Amino acid sequence: MPNAIMDLTELLERVENDREIIRELLLIFKEEFPIHLRALRDAVDSMDGKKVATEAHTMKGMLANLAAGSAASAAARLEQLGRNQEVSEFQEACVSFENLGKELLLELDTCMAEVCG
Amino acid sequence: MRILIADDEVMSRKMLQKTLERAGYEVTAVENGRLAANQLCPADGPRLALLDWVMPELDGPGVCREVRKRKEQSYVYMILLTSREAKEDVVAGLESGADDYLTKPFDPEELKARLRTGLRILNLEDRLVEAREEMRFRATHDGLTTLWNRGVMMDLLGRELARSRREHVCTAILMCDVDHFKTVNDTYGHHAGDDVLKETAKRLLAAVRSYDFVGRYGGEEFLVVLNNCNPPYALARAEEIRKAIARTPVPSVNGPIPVSMSVGLLFSEDWGRLPLEELLQEAGAALYAAKAAGRNCVKVASPKTSSPDSGSPDYQSIRLRR
Repeated sequence: MPNAIMDLTELLERVENDREIIRELLLIFKEEFPIHLRALRDAVDSMDGKKVATEAHTMKGMLANLAAGSAASAAARLEQLGRNQEVSEFQEACVSFENLGKELLLELDTCMAEVCG
Repeated sequence: MRILIADDEVMSRKMLQKTLERAGYEVTAVENGRLAANQLCPADGPRLALLDWVMPELDGPGVCREVRKRKEQSYVYMILLTSREAKEDVVAGLESGADDYLTKPFDPEELKARLRTGLRILNLEDRLVEAREEMRFRATHDGLTTLWNRGVMMDLLGRELARSRREHVCTAILMCDVDHFKTVNDTYGHHAGDDVLKETAKRLLAAVRSYDFVGRYGGEEFLVVLNNCNPPYALARAEEIRKAIARTPVPSVNGPIPVSMSVGLLFSEDWGRLPLEELLQEAGAALYAAKAAGRNCVKVASPKTSSPDSGSPDYQSIRLRR
């Protein structure tokens, strides 16, 4: 998949070609990620740096596990901004991260079909 | 091998669990540091652990510190999982007691290789503990009979005498010697002689209570300490012990060997605060009296009837031969 956010080849390597576990991971991600994304949005709107860092840290881990490198980097940036209480940067960073997240969620269905097929 | 995974992020936990189960580990997975510490701190907990750095309740380094506080328990090999790569973070993690760290997202081959390193360390620890225990056993037990050795018996007896004086109870000391042991060696050979000593030890152990002490005093001499018992009971027990030794011959490749034992018995309450060495001398003298009386009998050391001028005590003899 060209310009995909998630690198399925890398993910397959990381789980030693266990397609069943990828299917499980994708299902968990689809369920958990939007919850964290909403919590991040709330934290950004209330300019709660600590909460921004915590939520971004969790999502960074989830994205790294899915071999979604660019999205994980965006989450890492938000985590750092939250730690440093750089509230003026929160909105811009959050919007670009949300866009990446939405794209990724759309990508998951194609990925799921590829894995299960 | 059991391994503990602690990670609050469910996807990480799943991936680690699957990877490790495929590699043959028995996995326990928990979602916070407090649960991890609760699993790792008991003596029978897992000895390998993969701990996420950032976790609720207690973080990875916090778990390491709690586990390292424990003393006298098996070593736990702990690897911190982290997305932090700054030198100061790594140093802080290792200073908390972690053995290694692994950067997330992990590579399965690297993870397994690092765990193999952990297993090598744990195996090495097992071998060292085993060697230490063996040395401790050898330092405290007689090599042939595996009974307590003389040094330990002196120590145990000293403590028991102090306790009996403190609590005003009686301790009985039995100095025992296998009769005609030289003849056994000369007639049946030294291997058979060793078998006699081993069998004697076994019979002595079987004839006393679990909290009494039995040791090899040297050669064919054994020392038995009966804790907290009155003289009539001790006398009856000494006689039982003598009978237990003589009841059946000891089997050997050269045929059954008849065995008997002479016993010198001393009650601590009869001797005031006489030092341990002197008590043993008196028990030894009672043993010689038993030998002189024809062997296979029990003689009681009694200060009341001893004549200090004669140089040898006059024992109140209780012949209990069959």
